[in-house]
Amino acid sequence: MGRDGAAGLVCLAGSLVLLWATLHLSKAPLVPIGPAFYPRILLSVSAGLSVLLIASDFLRRRRPAAREARYRLVVLTFLIFGGYVFLLSPLGYRVSTFLFTLILQAVIEPPRGGKGWLRVLAVALAATAVTYYAFEIYLFVLLPRGWATGF
Amino acid sequence: MFSQLLTSLAEVAQLKFMIPLVIGTWTGLIGGAIPGVTITMTIILVLPFTFGLDPLQGLAAMTGVYVGGCAGGLVTAVLLGIPGTPAAIATTFDGFPMARKGEPGRAIWLGTWASFFGGLLGAIFLVGLTLPLARFALRFGPWEFFSLFIFALSMVAGLTEQSLLKGFISGTIGLAITVIGSDPIMGAPRLDFGSEFLSGGFQFLPVLIGVFAFAQIMTDLEKAGDGRRLEAQAAPDLSVSHPAVVWEILKRPFLLVWSTLVGILIGVLPAIGSSAANVMAYDQAKKISKHPEKFGTGIPEGVIAAESSNNANVAGSLVTIMAFGIPGDAVTAVMLGAMIIHGIQPGPLFITQQPRVSYGIFAAYILAHPVMMVLQWLSARFYLRIVTVPKAILFPVVLVLCVVGAFALNNTVDNVYALLIFGVLGYLMVKFGFPLAPLILGVILGDEIEKNLIRAIMTDPDPWLFLTRPISGVLLALSVGSIALALWQHRRTQARLAGVEPEAEADF
Repeated sequence: MGRDGAAGLVCLAGSLVLLWATLHLSKAPLVPIGPAFYPRILLSVSAGLSVLLIASDFLRRRRPAAREARYRLVVLTFLIFGGYVFLLSPLGYRVSTFLFTLILQAVIEPPRGGKGWLRVLAVALAATAVTYYAFEIYLFVLLPRGWATGF
Repeated sequence: MFSQLLTSLAEVAQLKFMIPLVIGTWTGLIGGAIPGVTITMTIILVLPFTFGLDPLQGLAAMTGVYVGGCAGGLVTAVLLGIPGTPAAIATTFDGFPMARKGEPGRAIWLGTWASFFGGLLGAIFLVGLTLPLARFALRFGPWEFFSLFIFALSMVAGLTEQSLLKGFISGTIGLAITVIGSDPIMGAPRLDFGSEFLSGGFQFLPVLIGVFAFAQIMTDLEKAGDGRRLEAQAAPDLSVSHPAVVWEILKRPFLLVWSTLVGILIGVLPAIGSSAANVMAYDQAKKISKHPEKFGTGIPEGVIAAESSNNANVAGSLVTIMAFGIPGDAVTAVMLGAMIIHGIQPGPLFITQQPRVSYGIFAAYILAHPVMMVLQWLSARFYLRIVTVPKAILFPVVLVLCVVGAFALNNTVDNVYALLIFGVLGYLMVKFGFPLAPLILGVILGDEIEKNLIRAIMTDPDPWLFLTRPISGVLLALSVGSIALALWQHRRTQARLAGVEPEAEADF
């Protein structure tokens, strides 16, 4: 199976799970059409299209060669970003944003020597301070405070 | 009519009105250029400052925000590949590749000049056609709206380069995202699996930012993972010949007028908005083009269509608010609120009973365009430098702005989680060769398709009405024609490319 077939299978599974979930939706008491009416039509179409994608993958004689790519940095960035998102609530915007910009810069392009680290530190501080003041002070967006740090 | 317009132009051109107009346009440009900060958010921010002003001064400021915001969205769309506002989604399709090819200045100014011409053409229609267009819009019932949204959705076929099947699946994923949460008619909880996070559904903006920002940034990071350093673009061509750019637009008069018309018509109809208008205009431009296969590679037609339509869309939205007091989108809803606060009630008699205010809005809309051009010219030399910023600095900062934009939507971290989820989804979709534009179109249209389908069936369960009502029938026929034309163009392109391996670049 090629990657189209795999993608089709994932879409089919997603559509079927959601279709199954519509079976448990209650009927609306006041209107003839319940909340499951439209999702069922949509998810049936989605499942049908997924089956077509799987079939077309099986019927394809020649599959395009997968391009070689390096995912180390991509995975790391997703992990760091995920950490940032989940640390926003306990650490607060200022601490987590500072750490995020500091770490991500260092991972994307490891700093060389003291000057490099100084630049990374300065950018992290500036990005945190500028966005905090611009949004919280001038745009009245109350950015998250950390329940663990109180900051 | 035109003498009243001239009088209003002379009045609004006074310093008393120009100062709020300039400040509003400048605020709109900045707000529009920050991913996640919508025009709606910017105009809400400006609203309290207008309370102490003369009504026309306040409305001039808000009109400036609207026009500036539409133009500002193109900056990040072109330079970062992330639409600053939903109105600039289609601008990324050709604007970003053009910037990547070393012509960021040309891309920005093509978009800016197209916004200018689209906006001014829109103004002509705004003044001349306000009442006829608004009367036409009143003939739309749920059947017509449903068919219109299906017509908009049929653009999915035209937005797909490699596999139409994947384009349709991407569109259905977008539609499926909108069914999670609660149903739009009764508000009954639906498909949330008992999760509080899912029960509120997904807002459009975190989906849009997540999908585009991560797909673009992660695709770039793959190259760095290859051992190559992620350098900023070396010595980008920031110089622009304005006469050449203007000529590039004016030598395509049909494209300009057609995209403007698409923008106005979508603006006149409530609930669709500029996010769909620019995608529809882009699709139309591709369909009428002699070389549709070049769309998405950085050609001027794509930028012109997207940008002229989104500014013209503002004119269309103003038509609806002034003729009927019905807001065409969230931005005009805020403007309507401001009018009511100032004791002005828009409606069918608004233009005849309040000519100073109504023609003043026309005048502010017209004058906001040259103001936007001047401000863009003043600031372009600074923000065009974004392309020279090292990616190791740029990417973390852009991601922080995305987080703040998603959070600020309604001050909840849930939107930031959604940003992460859709970032992962967007990246995976690109890796598996699914185009992202149909997904976004699905998310934009999903709720409205469902609402109007249910309303139509609840009003009259006869399904044939979708075909027998004239406007609805024509729109459905156009949808079929649109898909057929896209299929034909797709086959022709595939035949031309036969034997050539598909490119591995992200298909936006």
